Amino acid sequence: MPLLEINNLVTAFHTPAGRVPAVDGVSLSIERGKTLGLVGESGCGKSVTAMSILRLVASPGVIESGEILLAREGGSVDLTQLPEPELRKVRGGRIGMIFQEPMTSLNPVFTIGDQIAEAVLLHRAVPRAAARARALEMLKLVRLADPEQRLDEYPHQLSGGMRQRVMIAMALACEPDLVIADEPTTALDVTIQAQILELLSDLRRRLQTSLLLITHDLGVVAETCDEVAVMYAGRIVERAPAAELFANPQHPYTIGLLAARPATGVRHEGPLRTIPGMVPLPQNFPAGCRFHPRCAYARLPHCAGDVPPLRDIRPQHQARCHYAGELGPATGEKGDAAHFPHFSNAGNELRPLFPEGGS
Amino acid sequence: MNASSPIRSSGFWAEAWRRFRRKPLAMAALAFVSLLMLVAGLAPAIAGTKPVICRYKGRLYAPCLGYFDRRLEPTIFAKDKFRGTYPRNLVEKDPGSWAVWPLVFQDPYRSVRDDEWPGRPANPARDEGRPSRINLFGTDQAGVDVFAKMVHGTTIALLVGFVSMGIAGSIGIVVGALGGYLGGWVDMLTSRVTEIVMCIPTLVLILSIMALLEKPTIWHTMAIIGATGWTGIARLTRGEFLRLRQSEFVTAARATGAGPVRIMLRHILPNALAPILVPITFGIASAILTESSLSFLGFGPPPPSASWGSILNDARSNLSMWWLVVFPGVAIFLTVLAYNLIGEGLQEATDPRLREARK
Repeated sequence: MPLLEINNLVTAFHTPAGRVPAVDGVSLSIERGKTLGLVGESGCGKSVTAMSILRLVASPGVIESGEILLAREGGSVDLTQLPEPELRKVRGGRIGMIFQEPMTSLNPVFTIGDQIAEAVLLHRAVPRAAARARALEMLKLVRLADPEQRLDEYPHQLSGGMRQRVMIAMALACEPDLVIADEPTTALDVTIQAQILELLSDLRRRLQTSLLLITHDLGVVAETCDEVAVMYAGRIVERAPAAELFANPQHPYTIGLLAARPATGVRHEGPLRTIPGMVPLPQNFPAGCRFHPRCAYARLPHCAGDVPPLRDIRPQHQARCHYAGELGPATGEKGDAAHFPHFSNAGNELRPLFPEGGS
Repeated sequence: MNASSPIRSSGFWAEAWRRFRRKPLAMAALAFVSLLMLVAGLAPAIAGTKPVICRYKGRLYAPCLGYFDRRLEPTIFAKDKFRGTYPRNLVEKDPGSWAVWPLVFQDPYRSVRDDEWPGRPANPARDEGRPSRINLFGTDQAGVDVFAKMVHGTTIALLVGFVSMGIAGSIGIVVGALGGYLGGWVDMLTSRVTEIVMCIPTLVLILSIMALLEKPTIWHTMAIIGATGWTGIARLTRGEFLRLRQSEFVTAARATGAGPVRIMLRHILPNALAPILVPITFGIASAILTESSLSFLGFGPPPPSASWGSILNDARSNLSMWWLVVFPGVAIFLTVLAYNLIGEGLQEATDPRLREARK
């Protein structure tokens, strides 16, 4: 039984302009001690999914349906139905969270030590001194330089990378079963990014914590994740073990994403490859397969009419595409589809479709 | 996400103080208010007819404390039939006694009699009592020294400001915090109540309640000023809470499992305090003005305690006694001005937009 299982989660924002389904039927599962990468472009709903797990979605966002099952002794509990006081024990206690923006995610008026200690005191009935000792221990664990001194410093005295270490310390202080990291390295320098990621995976291994890593960086996924879920326009479009996904991407969107990565160590000729068009806004998601207006393989009217189901293509590998498995193998060992294979299967009437020719 | 969200560093107060210190007017105002506090605290030692410390029949006493509370005056002097006049009685009844006298031998509650202080004539009464070397600010119609009255009235002037704004601040912060943080119908309710209270003319309400009360005291005045003067504070607090509620460190605090009360008190309030202090400071000034107006109209504290406004009231019946207008008038003006200057200094020292505009 997985540690966390999300079934058909729908989170929508009720704005004056109408209902905006940012997350539309997402299903995920995270095994104990494993890392799941949730990948997608900005605005695809991955952050809202993460916030939905702890019910931190800000008004006017509402979790409309679906269940979020967190395993516990002798069964599981649905976080969407849990009363607020019970939920508060889960937040920070069983599930820790790390945010994207370390510069603004720490309270500016409290010392680092106070903030970590508070996180401990919220979940453990220990004296203040013990909480402080725990804070120090955590700062050592996240390898912050001069932890004794940092304990009494304020957030503005720390750099972005140091603050993110503090955030990690806070999230792990109560030994949660699951850590949700929402783009933990996006706001950091590239050199710091690598350090933070390494720290995160190392701590995860040592503490036997599960990790839900939300990112738009496929390189990060390749290095840290056991499994990957690719999200597009509020839906999961592909789900597979990391190695399998990179070797055999099945959904055209994933193929496009992998193709759009510049290869490292190779001098790049010509313009970088991109996926044409833009991520649609939740207000006007296209009908049928939401990727079809940008899809090189889209076949009309089928793709614009029917919503493709998330189905098994290979063992442990699911994709949400009518034609997954028939798209032809992606070339290159990193899945770098050097010749983004425009389907020209005669008789099948599959044709490339770009936004300017959109339906 | 929003990178320009509030970064109020811990050094915030230190930095605000540094900026405040650079404003000579605001610093002068702060010095003036500090001086007033000193005067209020040391009033019996500045002007009075009771010794600050005296040795009588082999023991030490501090009869001047009787000005703070009658019960603090040692009973031995009443038993020995001093009848409130110390200088002669001390020498006559115990030749070996000594005493340290207030700087100015004048009483705020009664006229000083002939030869009460060896070799000094009685206070002049009516319009004879213009300022002199003995009566610095002159005397009123009954011959009571105006300087002594004003020194002892300082307590009331300060108390009115602090007590009424203490009440107004507590109500305003609670109402504004609830409305701003909880939103929804709570916000609707608190906002409407605030608007209704805003429509109440404070002075008229106080006058009507004072007319109804059998024994109105200065405390009633303060309570009413406080109970009606919180609207501006509530609106500002609401705005700050609305803004900070969406800040990332509040989301992060919720993610560690903090409940709404803890978030409001520990995470938002300290960050919102600076802008809230500004209307409180202005409120102190306006409360002092309101109390003076009331006293001027004859609804001040009951005799014998005299506020600055009630000295002004004495001048109404005899306008030729200009010293009854000028000295308390200037004192009220300076005090109100000082609080307004402090408020303005505080505003400029804590408002980031004003700060940038001045660079």
